[in-house]
Amino acid sequence: MIKLESISKRFDAVQAVDNLSFTIDRGEIFGLLGPNGAGKSTSIAIMCGLVSADSGKVELEGLTPTTIKARKKIGLIPQSIALYEELTALDNLNFFADLYNMDKELKDQRINWSLEFVNLQDRAKDTVKGFSGGMKRRLNLAASLLHDPDYIFMDEPTAGVDPQSRNKLFDSVLELKEFGKTIVYTTHYMEEAEKLCDRVAIVDQGKLMALDTVDGLIRAYGGESQVTVQTNQGLEQFESTNPAKDLVKVLQDSVQLEDVTVRRPDLERVFLNLTGRQLRD
Amino acid sequence: MLKPIIALMKKDIKLLFKDKMAVFFTFIFPLIFAFFFGSIFSGGGGASKGMKIAVADLDQTTNSEYFVEQLQKADEFRVEILSESAARESVRKGKKVAFIILPEGFGEDYAGLFSGNPPELLVGLDPARKAEAGYLQGSLMKLGIGRFEKAFGDTEEMIQQLDDSIASVQNSDDIPEDWKALLKDYLPKMKDLTQKELDKQKASGEQSSGFSFGGEDGDNPMMPLKITQQEVSVQKSGPRNAFAITIPQGVIWAIMGCVIGFAVSLVQEKTLGTVNRLAVAPISRTQILAGKALGCFLAQALVVTLLFAIAYFILKVEFNLLKLLMAVAAVGVCFVGVMMFFASLAKTERSVAGLTNAFLVIMGMIGGAMIPLFVMPGWMQSISHISPVKWSILAIEGAIWRDFSYTEMLQPIAILLVVGLITFFLGTRMLKLEEA
Repeated sequence: MIKLESISKRFDAVQAVDNLSFTIDRGEIFGLLGPNGAGKSTSIAIMCGLVSADSGKVELEGLTPTTIKARKKIGLIPQSIALYEELTALDNLNFFADLYNMDKELKDQRINWSLEFVNLQDRAKDTVKGFSGGMKRRLNLAASLLHDPDYIFMDEPTAGVDPQSRNKLFDSVLELKEFGKTIVYTTHYMEEAEKLCDRVAIVDQGKLMALDTVDGLIRAYGGESQVTVQTNQGLEQFESTNPAKDLVKVLQDSVQLEDVTVRRPDLERVFLNLTGRQLRD
Repeated sequence: MLKPIIALMKKDIKLLFKDKMAVFFTFIFPLIFAFFFGSIFSGGGGASKGMKIAVADLDQTTNSEYFVEQLQKADEFRVEILSESAARESVRKGKKVAFIILPEGFGEDYAGLFSGNPPELLVGLDPARKAEAGYLQGSLMKLGIGRFEKAFGDTEEMIQQLDDSIASVQNSDDIPEDWKALLKDYLPKMKDLTQKELDKQKASGEQSSGFSFGGEDGDNPMMPLKITQQEVSVQKSGPRNAFAITIPQGVIWAIMGCVIGFAVSLVQEKTLGTVNRLAVAPISRTQILAGKALGCFLAQALVVTLLFAIAYFILKVEFNLLKLLMAVAAVGVCFVGVMMFFASLAKTERSVAGLTNAFLVIMGMIGGAMIPLFVMPGWMQSISHISPVKWSILAIEGAIWRDFSYTEMLQPIAILLVVGLITFFLGTRMLKLEEA
């Protein structure tokens, strides 16, 4: 379990994180959703012990994240491709594995598993600079899994990734959840949060705006569905909590239906309703 | 504890060798520098034009001056005329290979073909220079034979020689009577023949050209010179060859390459974001910085070993190994500190490369990495005290040709260690291990 209590962090004039408090349970995929500059990366950096908070408290299974014991449980997939491009994939993995003081047998075993997990075993001896963006992202993930961490922090892992690699990455995230890993996933794509996350924390300007499951957030902050109906008598638009029931009402009195669109509320709407701004503003 | 440090060091060395430009400036350029300038300063490929000798003419006669003139004309020698004491000192200090002293009476003996002793030369050189000794003796003998050519090559001079010899024979007490009688008969007859030849030459208007005996110099059974050899213990006081100067300079260029490469790599860890991986790994900040420092130190050690192996085996640069190891270790510590300090100041690869390069080039210029310290004007040598490059070169040269005692080595080594430790301390304190 990861516990944040009233965490705040300021960089000069910018309040990056403002009194953030929540708990992340073991084995869940926890999403941090917000626009660029919302404080997601800083929050992850504080949770990993990379940045110290100005105030508040962070605990990872009761440990301070900066301790050696806690660090062994942390796997960080940075937003940037944090690899040595001049070296081969294998050289990179060997180096990062050595930082965790593994014996050779375990190291080789973990390197093979990681390469297989991201489907790069055939490219192990190639230099990273020859990899596509998607392959680099996959190797970036593999490098973070070498020591079999319990808590995996993914900071915008799909940035600049093609749709095929993105889907492969989604599968990997879900597979890691099946292995019992706790995953903290930051994104500004609501589709990713909706697809992957058990719970989502919506953050804006460093503040926690809402925290719940995707359905819970939509129910609470998404508002009504938007229904657009085209009949022989013209176009009609209305909002509804129960579109099917309200549609039946519209279709009475021999009105002929030509087209109907029901737009259910989503996390974009949730964000809009919470902040008055679009997620991608 | 050590495994992550070694992993960091290995990774950085591997990255250094992957960067062709860094390899060039760290390993190849210093070699080219040392070899190119060493060759230039050695006078066209390292071979000098003749043996450098000092000559002192204590006789100051026409014949002694003639012999000195022959020495000066000989291709085998590069002659400098000095006083006796200066000539001896020049060999002792290693500035000249040998001295040749023409003692008083040299001219008289040089002229006496049929009487007296062969002219004596006093030759002094380092006993270690056996090859030069043989060469020198052979070349001097060749010139000594010239005195016969001189005597027989000029008819008038030969008549004069015969007159001197007749007088000498008459006055001599130690020539056996049988020989004396023979020579008293032979020498005047020979003088008459020579006189007739001279008269004939004068009548025909020819210039006195002497006789030809038809044989080679070596056929003459008489001793051309008597060479008395003296051993001179040479006080080593200068570089044996130009490479002894350019190799330390090359080492500095190589170290500069390492420092820039590692300072950039440290900043690159931040810009790439790999520093975050290092920071979340179960290793301490000290281990990360130690790994970097060790990598930089080892790269310096590698390049210095390479340069000195080439210097020793190919360029014949000799050195005191223990003193050299001390010097190189101190230089390594100093420049690891400098690397850490500059890496802490900059946020991007470009800025750290620019900053470190500018600093090192200026320090190199005033510290003797381009122009040797000892040829700099006095004021420049004073300024050079502020440059760690100067103390590095001094320490290395101390182990090569300055022949520093261990006590003398302490000063540059202490300065380098202090500079290294201060800059390392400041650098590690200021360096922020987080993504730029």
